[in-house]
Amino acid sequence: MKPMLHRLLRSPAGLGGLVMLLALLIAVVATPLVSPYDPYALDFGNALLPPDATHWFGTDNFGRDIFTRVLAGAAYDLRLATTCVFGPMLLGILVGLCAGYFGGWIDVALMRLTDVVWAFPFYVLVLTIVGVLGPGEGNLYIAFFLVNWIGYARIVRGETLVIARLEYVQALSILRFGPARTMLRHILPNAVTPAIVYSMSDLVLTVQAVAALSFFGLGVQPPAPEWGLLIVESVDYMRDAPWMTIFPGLAIAFVGVAFALLGEGLAAALQPRG
Amino acid sequence: MRERMKAFLLAGCLAVSSLALSASAEARTLRVAMGTDAVSFDPIATSDNGSIWTQLLIYDTLIRPDKAGTGLEPGLAKSWTVSPDGLTLTFQLREAKFSDGTPVTPQDVEYSLRRAASEKSDWGRFFRPITGFKIQGDHEIVMTLDKPFTPAFNNLALFSAAILPKAKLEAEGDAFFEHPVGSGPFVLKQWSRGSKIVLAANPNYWQAGKPGIEGAELDIVAEGAARVLKLEAGESDLILDPPLNQMKALEAKDGISVGQVVPYRSDFVMLNTTKPPFDQEKVRQALNYAVDKEGLIKGVLYGAGKVAATAMPVMAYADPGLEPYPYDPAKAKALLAEAGLGNGFSTTMLVNSSNAAHRNVAVALQAMLGAVGVKIDIQMIEGGTMWETTKAGNYETALSFATSDTIDPDQLIGFLAVNPERANAYHTQWKNEQLNALYAEERSTVDGDKRGQQFQEMIRLFKEGAPDIFLYHPASAWAVHDDVKGFEILPTSNFRLEDVTFAD
Repeated sequence: MKPMLHRLLRSPAGLGGLVMLLALLIAVVATPLVSPYDPYALDFGNALLPPDATHWFGTDNFGRDIFTRVLAGAAYDLRLATTCVFGPMLLGILVGLCAGYFGGWIDVALMRLTDVVWAFPFYVLVLTIVGVLGPGEGNLYIAFFLVNWIGYARIVRGETLVIARLEYVQALSILRFGPARTMLRHILPNAVTPAIVYSMSDLVLTVQAVAALSFFGLGVQPPAPEWGLLIVESVDYMRDAPWMTIFPGLAIAFVGVAFALLGEGLAAALQPRG
Repeated sequence: MRERMKAFLLAGCLAVSSLALSASAEARTLRVAMGTDAVSFDPIATSDNGSIWTQLLIYDTLIRPDKAGTGLEPGLAKSWTVSPDGLTLTFQLREAKFSDGTPVTPQDVEYSLRRAASEKSDWGRFFRPITGFKIQGDHEIVMTLDKPFTPAFNNLALFSAAILPKAKLEAEGDAFFEHPVGSGPFVLKQWSRGSKIVLAANPNYWQAGKPGIEGAELDIVAEGAARVLKLEAGESDLILDPPLNQMKALEAKDGISVGQVVPYRSDFVMLNTTKPPFDQEKVRQALNYAVDKEGLIKGVLYGAGKVAATAMPVMAYADPGLEPYPYDPAKAKALLAEAGLGNGFSTTMLVNSSNAAHRNVAVALQAMLGAVGVKIDIQMIEGGTMWETTKAGNYETALSFATSDTIDPDQLIGFLAVNPERANAYHTQWKNEQLNALYAEERSTVDGDKRGQQFQEMIRLFKEGAPDIFLYHPASAWAVHDDVKGFEILPTSNFRLEDVTFAD
């Protein structure tokens, strides 16, 4: 683990991504303690103020401080994105391990299932599920759990197929280690690397997907300062008060870049060395 | 460098605006951008504004509300008499033709009104009291009632009483409404659902010299901000409902003017009185005290509206002395405490996701009601499913509005406050027997002071019972290029494009 982290910190991309995320996390935690503004309290007297020294990102049509709201929104977006990626990731890894290790009809059944889900465009499926279940954070989780695991299942299955044929794994079966122990202790650590790298780019997409669904009214409900909601609420004001749109948009881009860099760093750090 | 950049931009702007000018001077078709599409052109099967507004451009009624919204003026009927007991209505029809060239006959009138009163009609109860039709010659029709029903005359000015060609409708059945024929100023040329309604001037229209435009294209553009961009780019001559926060900037622009009028409309929060704690009158009143209506109008509507005393618009017989619930959070808290809810409560509010003003109102209401301990979870819902959801009673509170299609308060009070009548007091299930009795009385009382007092008493009971949180009467706004003359929105929320002309 230690050399891995060391290698990650030595890659400029990985270091940059990590620093950006840490900075954001610190700001998210610190802002409620430091900011004089409540992200929800209305103050019509100070509506639509441009960015200045008191309101760094300006204020919105209700006079709410946008800096405070964007950082309060980070809690929503990061929570949603990480849950919607790492939850399905666990599921997908499990499916992929089983399919790759057991083979036979288990493999066929699980892979046909992934093919079915894979056949639908991602957004069509997510929009349909949320549309049927109704908007809201809970249903957003359900939709992503149902759809997002397939990528991981495919990646991990492929790796497992290769690893399961290696001599050390065959030695384990001679030693009569059970399948659970073999899979989790001995195959998983080697099969999971590409899945972790993939999850970083998945996070980039999921942050955007979550914001997009809220933009369409299908995700988090107002007055939550979720970034997609901040943007949809800004549409009518985009011309008089562009800061209402720009800063939440920059926040989404910031997180996207951070995860992309981190992913690149991880890919380099986790690459098996000869 | 900066100067050159500026000059370049300026030249670009000039080029674009001169293009826009030349385009609108030549085109004699009025291009309108509005937010909602029609649903159907069958006047007895619709109740949404998109359909009603478009139908009123295609069809005529015997009589219609005048532009001031205070009286009725001739439509297809050039004159009429109402007997003193209100039981006999006699209409003289003018020489008018449908857009296909066939004349409008009393037979068409009888057929259309019998159809409007039929079982299949959503508006049947408005016309069923008229029981007899007698046709005298080519231009006179006499309608009789079995018992007094004062709104009968006024109801003939409703869009659902549109006069349709009997022979064509009988021959074509419901397919008629795919290519409807009416005697109104415009003919439907093309309808691409969700995108565009194309109208051409009716060459046979009975008002000489009208319409003053060759036709009209109604573009359906859901987002208000997008409508503004279309207007500024010269792609539209006229837009309805620009975002209210952009009105000032629009007005300041050269070549664009804006207008607004407060029509017979009110916005309110429906409370499902079958669900506790909304079954308690005190709770409902408390919510009314907790809302700063002035603040809403200033902060969310940018001043474009009036405080509402009830969900009834200020129209005929309105009581000028009726005071709105004052903003009094302390009183609201006291009332909640009396109702045993001193610690507040939580509820949900349905909000139409495509209504930008309502999204903002909901956020403001959430903060105001939160201040008296009422926590509201907003649930965005697609506008098309809202009616079915509240009708089925699957809601606690819902942000909604109502507009009057006539100048007589009978239509709306029946809709908003009488239960069962049309909509179980607009899906709140609130019931007040005294109000129900007054409603029956009003309908058999001849127009005049006594009927006025009955309306005022009903509205007082409505206010006290508070089945809704009464909010405001919003203005309807529009923005238009300066070369478009004669556009206005009427108190009945619709607009007449036959009076619109292009300045040279």
